[in-house]
Amino acid sequence: MLKIQDITVKYGQSSQPIIEHFNLDLAAGQICSIVGESGSGKTSVIRAVLGCLPGGGEVVAGDIKFENESLLAYSREQWRRLRGTKISMIFQDSGAMINPTRKIGDQFVEYILTHEKMPKKAAFAMGVEMLERMRLPSGDNIMRSYPFQLSGGMRQRVGIAMAMTFQPRLLLADEPTSALDVTTQAQIVRQMLELREQYGTGIIIVTHNLGVAAYMADKTVVMQKGRIVEQGSREEILHRPQHEYTRALLAAVPSLEGERYV
Amino acid sequence: MSEAKSGQTGELLLQARHITRCFPASGGRWLTACNDVNLNIYRGQTLGLVGESGCGKSTFMRFIVQLDMPTEGEIIYRGEDITKMRGARLRENRQNIQMVFQDPYASFNPRMKIKDIICEPLLNFGRIKAAERGAKARELLEMVELPGELADRYPHNMSGGQRQRIGIARALALEPEIIICDESTSALDASVQDKIIRLLVKLQREKNIAIGFIAHDLGLISSFAHQVAVMYLGNIVEIMPGEQVKNALHPYSKTLLDAVFDLKMDFNKKIPQLDSEIPSPLDAPKGCPFHTRCPRCTALCQTERPELKELAPEHFAACHMLA
Repeated sequence: MLKIQDITVKYGQSSQPIIEHFNLDLAAGQICSIVGESGSGKTSVIRAVLGCLPGGGEVVAGDIKFENESLLAYSREQWRRLRGTKISMIFQDSGAMINPTRKIGDQFVEYILTHEKMPKKAAFAMGVEMLERMRLPSGDNIMRSYPFQLSGGMRQRVGIAMAMTFQPRLLLADEPTSALDVTTQAQIVRQMLELREQYGTGIIIVTHNLGVAAYMADKTVVMQKGRIVEQGSREEILHRPQHEYTRALLAAVPSLEGERYV
Repeated sequence: MSEAKSGQTGELLLQARHITRCFPASGGRWLTACNDVNLNIYRGQTLGLVGESGCGKSTFMRFIVQLDMPTEGEIIYRGEDITKMRGARLRENRQNIQMVFQDPYASFNPRMKIKDIICEPLLNFGRIKAAERGAKARELLEMVELPGELADRYPHNMSGGQRQRIGIARALALEPEIIICDESTSALDASVQDKIIRLLVKLQREKNIAIGFIAHDLGLISSFAHQVAVMYLGNIVEIMPGEQVKNALHPYSKTLLDAVFDLKMDFNKKIPQLDSEIPSPLDAPKGCPFHTRCPRCTALCQTERPELKELAPEHFAACHMLA
């Protein structure tokens, strides 16, 4: 479904690429996690897929193919039609994506109408239905709320509900759980796995939580300084890590069964 | 009222008794952030406090650092109730209890050099002269395993790990007996977090410091805390020795454990669905605070608040079902 072929990404005039020779194949309904430390370029990868690299970022080499079409050759209009329908994204803090001065419903309806012609009322009902599918109690009420009236976990669910409205083929998730409490994190992870079961959505999740990455993903990509140092199945990464860096990352994860320092 | 006994081996350093804090809320209502909290801090040991956002863990720790005062209750430190301290006495006592914040960048003045940041507490209490700043800063930087050259730099352009080390250096400058860390590592990468925790443990051993550590990662807290308290909606629901975290008894602690993604977990395990959100502390449930989400809730749980009971040595839980 998605083929990232040997891409290199640079920001602005800098000679140092932020991502070099990145390759990834993702089949429909597959979940891939990208792990690595801050600044390793994980977010830039998924932003490149959605064509929204910030600050003059540009794919200078390689190609990104989605359903056999090169995304890099897309016009603005083509991008506009693709984003939010076939490929969606959820962010670390969905609260920051939502305009704080407008109600959830208002923005949800606007988003739906951008991509599909229908009466406002139908769009509103569609929004309510999506919210309720994400197990948000009384979707009606939430549509009439402002973002600040919701908890972080609820806002994240609103973000996922919006992203899933048009049943995208590919969902890009940028640290979707790292701002959340552990219990909420577990629920969001659970719901993302349900999305794959219900709609066959392929997911790329960027995270620094190796536990979440290992639990969710069919395959894991480990990045360091803009390069892939290792990729493989959960089994391969957790039990037979080849690269020094992967081993160091694994060793640093606190574990209930792990070493005690005192 | 149950009180955690001090049977633990170790010298009792600070004792919080029946701490309650209510904040006024709109509509004449009251928000109870801490409800009858009893906790002890022992010399040279770490007390881990875990719980979800808004459960009152930071509110409680702020009383110990004397940034806020409880509505009721007392905190006994060196034979004195520190919640009653005022004026010069309060200022004096601040030297003994220091704090490391979650986001050190937000707690540094961006226009101050690192040496000024680290040495400010020492200058405030007249422990060193302004001319001695450079040398003292270098010494403190080396203590937190940073190169001394950083003393003349500014906090921007430093990595999160470096800033957190500087936060620790500043907190330790006055050689306090207790430091409070409020989620001090949760903004960091796992490998950096691991290094900071090792550093804290090393400094704790060398200087015999007591640490109060707020966290939401049970795996992390169990790796270095001597004593772990679990908080829910302002109530302490379980207190246990650090090595017992994986054998926690209270249903809420178990919910937290279930939510941990551990590298050694069973990856075929389904995540149990938890439908309800945490109730608002404005209308906290009557009876057991956890009953609205508890899988084992009974009629008794809905009416009567359970008290902490010692179920195993040094292991307390507040649950009717565990008695």
